[in-house]
Amino acid sequence: MHPIFALLRKDLLNFLRNRAGVSLTFAVPFAMIYLFGQIFGVNRKDTGPVGIPFAVVNASSNPAAAKLLEALKGEKSFRVITDTAAPGDARRPLTEADLRLLMQAPGAPFRFALVIPDDVISASEFGLHLKFLSNPRSEIETQTVNGLLQKTIFSHVPELIGESLQARAKGYLGDARLKGFNQRLATTISSTFGGDPAEIESRISAGDFGFGRLTAPTKAAPDPTLRRLDPPDPAPPPAKSSGMADVFSKLVRIDSEQVVGANVKSPAATALVGGWAIQFLLFALTASATGMFRERDAGIFQRLLSAPVTRAHILWSKFLYGVILGLVQLVVLFTASSSFYGIEILPHLGRLALVCIFAAGACTSFGMLIAAIAPNAEAANGLATFCIMLMSCLGGAWFPITLMPVFIQQFSKLTLIYWSMEGFSAVLWAGQSVVQILPILGILAGITASVMAIAVWRFNRGRIFD
Amino acid sequence: MLQLHSVTKCYGALTALDSVSLEIARGEFFGLLGPNGAGKSTLMSLVAGLRAPEAGTLTLEGRALTAGDITGRRALGLVPQHIALYQDLTAEQNLRIFGELYGLRGADLRTRIAEALEAVQLTDRRGEPVKRYSGGMQRRLNLVAALLHRPSLLLCDEPTVGVDPQSRNAIFEYLERLNREGLSVIYSTHYMEEATRLCSRIGIIDHGRIHALGTLDELLMRLPFEEEIRFPVTPTTAPLAARLGELGEIATEDSVHRFRPRPDVKLSAFFALTESFGLPPRLFTSQRPTLEGVFLHLTGRKLRE
Ligand SMILES: Nc1ncnc2c1ncn2[C@@H]1O[C@H](COP(=O)(O)OP(=O)(O)OP(=O)(O)O)[C@@H](O)[C@H]1O
Ligand SMILES: [Mg+2]
Repeated sequence: MHPIFALLRKDLLNFLRNRAGVSLTFAVPFAMIYLFGQIFGVNRKDTGPVGIPFAVVNASSNPAAAKLLEALKGEKSFRVITDTAAPGDARRPLTEADLRLLMQAPGAPFRFALVIPDDVISASEFGLHLKFLSNPRSEIETQTVNGLLQKTIFSHVPELIGESLQARAKGYLGDARLKGFNQRLATTISSTFGGDPAEIESRISAGDFGFGRLTAPTKAAPDPTLRRLDPPDPAPPPAKSSGMADVFSKLVRIDSEQVVGANVKSPAATALVGGWAIQFLLFALTASATGMFRERDAGIFQRLLSAPVTRAHILWSKFLYGVILGLVQLVVLFTASSSFYGIEILPHLGRLALVCIFAAGACTSFGMLIAAIAPNAEAANGLATFCIMLMSCLGGAWFPITLMPVFIQQFSKLTLIYWSMEGFSAVLWAGQSVVQILPILGILAGITASVMAIAVWRFNRGRIFD
Repeated sequence: MLQLHSVTKCYGALTALDSVSLEIARGEFFGLLGPNGAGKSTLMSLVAGLRAPEAGTLTLEGRALTAGDITGRRALGLVPQHIALYQDLTAEQNLRIFGELYGLRGADLRTRIAEALEAVQLTDRRGEPVKRYSGGMQRRLNLVAALLHRPSLLLCDEPTVGVDPQSRNAIFEYLERLNREGLSVIYSTHYMEEATRLCSRIGIIDHGRIHALGTLDELLMRLPFEEEIRFPVTPTTAPLAARLGELGEIATEDSVHRFRPRPDVKLSAFFALTESFGLPPRLFTSQRPTLEGVFLHLTGRKLRE
């Protein structure tokens, strides 16, 4: 048997003998991927309260305000809080005065609050008068809340905008002239489209321009008076629509089409799994590479090198071992994600395995480099943790690199994490063919080759074989 | 079979081996006796090809030993000073790996493993991970792991550290048997008892230099007499007592002759004389000169300090 394979067999045997190692390699990633999935809300089977705590105080008697409150409560990403603890066991409705106090208190029950004031619609301004209080501790969270809030208002209570228009017009024109304007408008509509002018006028003056109907889910009973304002029934969207029943998307008619990943069953998990997988792999493979220090300290290398075995044999057997371990671990991770989150791997198995091999190679070379430059196992582990964290962050395993400054994004492309994730998403998300993923594989192979070259050079100059 | 010619090895500023020349003949049991840091392990590692010397040449069976040349090493077996075994694997698995590295396999490898385990009495524990072995058992396994491929030269670097007397004896007997069967051995130790018992020739090494080289007797003969030798007053010893006056002072008290040699008299001269009268060494009760004494004499320091 070639020495490389004898050594490889030994490493595998050693690995299997080490029960802690085996469970760390397989059970822990399995558990972690499950936990991560739960934390990031992938395929959440909703139980219990979730969503961002969001306090709402409704001081308006406008029925649309109540509707807005209902809509916010219906928004899955919010957990709407409207009351607070009162003396005794009772609870009482929140008031505007409570909000600042509660938000500034340590362990604040919420960081975002909305006040719908009495003058939600005023004559002095166009638009809605709402008060948004925030503690923008997390930029991402704040952006999310803002976006969700806008979406909810526009898509669920468009009447508020109509009302606001009327109120504003009243301010400009005065009661009498507005009434005249509304009357003329109602007559014109009635004579052009039909319908009872009096009813149309009363609706117009109430601010009801029918925006609500634009977004109403059912078109079962269209109001005959306003039906022409309804856009023609849109053709079914070509692919998935953005899913937001946004009033503007109806008025402006933006047909959104998801061009990539439209058929992916579990999109969120698919995008995330690659990043997790590669981080696990880096940690596992660095640990296995730093196992070389144990062998050195035990004097095993002396025994091996006094046999017909060269340093290169030892290094390449370690490399092969790392690739095999990495491949197995990735298979386990993807199997876990497919069983937990329904990520489809079977149709892509061949290409996925290919990417896994190249990613495992790149990760192994990283581990070898760490072992080659560190003086001992402790230093190696410290250095590895730092580098893995940095690479994971830069490479986009934690959040999309598009959120980073352009300057930083340049560095992302230097990380093997970035290219491994590109590889995984090319296969799982975009469903690319072998030929299409060749460039990514090439880059991963290039990273592996150059990192290994440095590692081998360092090993030969360093002291690990001494 | 092995020649070292003016071999020098440095670790940075430290000269671990200083122009060492040495020749080991086939079938020899060569002892390398020296204290900690003398350079024994360094010498072994050069012969095993783990390191390259700064100067000098090594040849094995007429073929230059270089650090990169791996084929020449098949004839060598190295028993490292530290236990170099995979602790999580069983004795059998360890031996299998080391055998495979020498290209052994199949039935041949299996028989050799069985023989090796039998030789060091580990057969019934062969399926246990090495980490559960006692220190002495690990030592024994460490030893046979270097023998599976039947080398012609065995490099034993202090193979009995931490081994109880009984196991030590078992190891000695095993090595002696192999040596009788033709294995050449270089055995490093700082126990003079081991060198005395095992080695047909001994090199005394200190501070990277070989201070003396020879058989036990040759080494002992280098030692000047400084002590008193006592032997009983009997008719058979009378002629010896009469002649000893030539070599030093002889006094007789009660039934004991007490002989104090002159400083320039060699031990060999004394023994030559006793032999010529056919007197067995057990008659002489003086503290017999030891390798320890030789070492002290040559280097001015004790073997273990
Ligand atoms: N890898 C190394 N780097 C630097 N110095 C070393 C190294 N190995 C040995 N030395 C030094 O070389 C000298 C000889 O060491 P060596 O290990 O050959 O001694 P030894 O005779 O085997 O001692 P011991 O009986 O303690 O095993 C010592 O002074 C030691 O400190
Ligand atoms: Mg030593």
